[in-house]
Amino acid sequence: MAAPVVRSVRKLLKLVDFTSVPRRHRYKKKWATTEPGFPATRLALQNFDMTYSVQFGDLWPSIRVSLLSEQKYGALVNNFAACDNVSAKLEQLSAKDFVNEAISRQEPEPESGLAPTPSPDCSPNLRCFTFSRGDVSRFPPARPGSLGLLDYYLMDAASLLPVLALGLQPGDTVLDLCAAPGGKTLALLQTGCCRNLAANDLSTSRTGRLQKVLHSYVPQDIRDGNQVRVTSWDGRKWGELEGDTYDRVLVDVPCTTDRHSLHEEENNIFQRSRKKERQMLPMLQAQLLAAGLLATKPGGHVVYSTCSLSHLQNEYVVQGAIELLANQYSIQVQVEDLSHFRKLFMDTFCFFPSCQVGELVIPNLMANFGPMYFCKMHRLP
Amino acid sequence: SPVCTAEGSCLCKRQKPRGLKTWPRNGGTLALRTAADTDWRTDIVGQEGPPLPAIQLRSSLGLHGCSGQAGEIAIGPGFTAAAGGTCRRPCRWLFVITSGLFVAIALPAGGCIDSPVPDWHRLMTLSWTCLARRTPHLRDCKRMSRSLFCKLTTVPSGENLQEFSCVRPKTYVQEPEYRTHLVQCLHEEQKPFVDPKSVELANVISSLQDMGFDQAHINSLLNVQPCVHPQQLLDIISEFLLLGLHPEPLFMVLKKSPQLLKLSPVQMKKRSSYLRKLGLGEGKLKRVLHGCPEVFTMRQRDIDGIVKVLKERCMFTAQQITELLHRCPGVLQADPSELEYKFQYAYFRMGLKHLDIVKNDFLQYSITKIKQRHMYLERLGRYQTPDKKGQTQIPNPLLKDILRVSEAEFLARTARSSAEEFEVFKKLLDREEEESESHASEEEEEDEEEEDEE
Repeated sequence: MAAPVVRSVRKLLKLVDFTSVPRRHRYKKKWATTEPGFPATRLALQNFDMTYSVQFGDLWPSIRVSLLSEQKYGALVNNFAACDNVSAKLEQLSAKDFVNEAISRQEPEPESGLAPTPSPDCSPNLRCFTFSRGDVSRFPPARPGSLGLLDYYLMDAASLLPVLALGLQPGDTVLDLCAAPGGKTLALLQTGCCRNLAANDLSTSRTGRLQKVLHSYVPQDIRDGNQVRVTSWDGRKWGELEGDTYDRVLVDVPCTTDRHSLHEEENNIFQRSRKKERQMLPMLQAQLLAAGLLATKPGGHVVYSTCSLSHLQNEYVVQGAIELLANQYSIQVQVEDLSHFRKLFMDTFCFFPSCQVGELVIPNLMANFGPMYFCKMHRLP
Repeated sequence: SPVCTAEGSCLCKRQKPRGLKTWPRNGGTLALRTAADTDWRTDIVGQEGPPLPAIQLRSSLGLHGCSGQAGEIAIGPGFTAAAGGTCRRPCRWLFVITSGLFVAIALPAGGCIDSPVPDWHRLMTLSWTCLARRTPHLRDCKRMSRSLFCKLTTVPSGENLQEFSCVRPKTYVQEPEYRTHLVQCLHEEQKPFVDPKSVELANVISSLQDMGFDQAHINSLLNVQPCVHPQQLLDIISEFLLLGLHPEPLFMVLKKSPQLLKLSPVQMKKRSSYLRKLGLGEGKLKRVLHGCPEVFTMRQRDIDGIVKVLKERCMFTAQQITELLHRCPGVLQADPSELEYKFQYAYFRMGLKHLDIVKNDFLQYSITKIKQRHMYLERLGRYQTPDKKGQTQIPNPLLKDILRVSEAEFLARTARSSAEEFEVFKKLLDREEEESESHASEEEEEDEEEEDEE
């Protein structure tokens, strides 16, 4: 009943030369009287079965069952909420701060006599609680503290790893190129290292969500000051816009959002109508990464991350972007080895052992985080 | 412990002095030969059932405590000797002493697979009845005798047993009333019975022995439901035997569910005929009774409910229903709507056919176990619901490898996954189920509200 109304409205809009409503908004779950015959979630699963069974072999079934089951969350403590007892409260639930555990585990061995191996520079001040392996408890929803800010932010704990790997240091200027919906942006702010943080996302609706997150978690003086800037521009243009500007850049690109695509029908990228868009993703991702690299100061660092398992969106893109920068801009980019970093966290997360470049957290029922791919690069001076 | 002092072999259960051979343990002490064709033997063998011929004892037995008087009988364990004397089968012997002659008749041991007890019982009755008619003093004998194993005299060869050719089993109708005159020996001492009640009890006991129950079981049966009249006990037991059960399994069932002895014979007969109609008589009943003793005591209405679900909602054929109830008698006690749900899960969600469901005893497993294992395999990518044409892209594992195997084997062979992952999965699934249930009922409420608003 409502559908013909929508169509005629769209026709009207076209006449007035408004931008036509993107195709992907055509199907509205609450207006449609019938579900589509073959849901996009099933198309996604079919696609994954085809590609990942080859890519992961015997590991695929355990990844598959984890993707199809409820994911596990971590509670990122909001340092701005000034809640003294939030850690205690979370510990009472039998959750543990995995960041703290990992870092305290890398105590130097006293007998060696050598200087302790330099710790991988993990971004500081991040506290994130998770339940132990095999524990399927859920966190209660976050509550506002005395300052009116929520005490913790629930996110996939694996999403924190790219931010940790970026290794912020106090006074860094930071760019988050595809910031929405804002989990990683919030984490960047939690480090307390951002002299300036530029958060950008192409989609205005998604930057709206980012703003809401900042509103709930970050004090007004930080939001309103010059410290944080939120924009809705095309990330691919950043090389031209703000080349050679930032100490640390996070490029958390749009991807097939594997886990999400198996459960959510709305706006699912595996819809037949979005096939072209999906096939162009790796190119878009490489362009964004290239832009991020161009926006980095020489000597600065970039972390590229996705929440997909696919080679084509992960290693392939990293290698492509590095090649592009070398060939087109004569800029040398070196991939940084994260195996030491991986070892710190392998008790909490399940890592894929055979990435050519970067690291990949794979979902497993014992630790149902991820998928999360991340790769750290150093723009050579 | 007391030691036996008889000369030669004897049948008592006391410890034997060294050197004496006990009969029939080593078998060789007796030379048992089947008699040449006699009317007697032919008549008995003429019945259906394995040939357990009457034989003549050819050598003497040293038996203690007996006086050699005619009219005495004894029962004890032993072996048969078939013609040719080569194959021995365990059985129980009834020795009947009459003037100058004796007859030993083999009864099947309790639980002997080849012989259906009721037939033998009737056979025994007949032979005894016939003997009793022929030997008046036996008929009059109502006392319980002691352990009486007489010194039996040898029978001159050539002499046949014409005198006993009166036994014509076919002429006699097998009715329980013929049992009443049967006199038994017990190994233990018994007080001489005087009152009719004890006589009745004695008769019941003797009947039970003939049916193949051993003494310990009989005592147990009589005591398990003391308020039950011994005759009723007997009637019920006979009814069960008629339905095709053997004494040993029947004893186990009655021990487990003594309330069965309280059934009225009318109720029993009614239920028996209903079960026969369902195809659950004879050999099948034992398993049904073992799996679901309540099949006799539960309400007709409840059984009807289950059968109706299976027939009309699940569309099983009558033959399939029989097989199903035979294999999974517990189904009779299921909740009908849960049973239907389980079937629908099998048929629609898993894409199984009726035959698969029956042959793999699907309906006996709990729905939780079914869902856990099926959904685990499905999410692992190891099970696919067949499409409309019944095809899948991967070969599904056999249903028996999903449900019938232990969890360890399921994980190792079928799922090829670890126990710890499966444990987590079960917890997650449990939560999903809970939440979808409450969500479904919320949606129902919402629907109702919307209707109101219009």
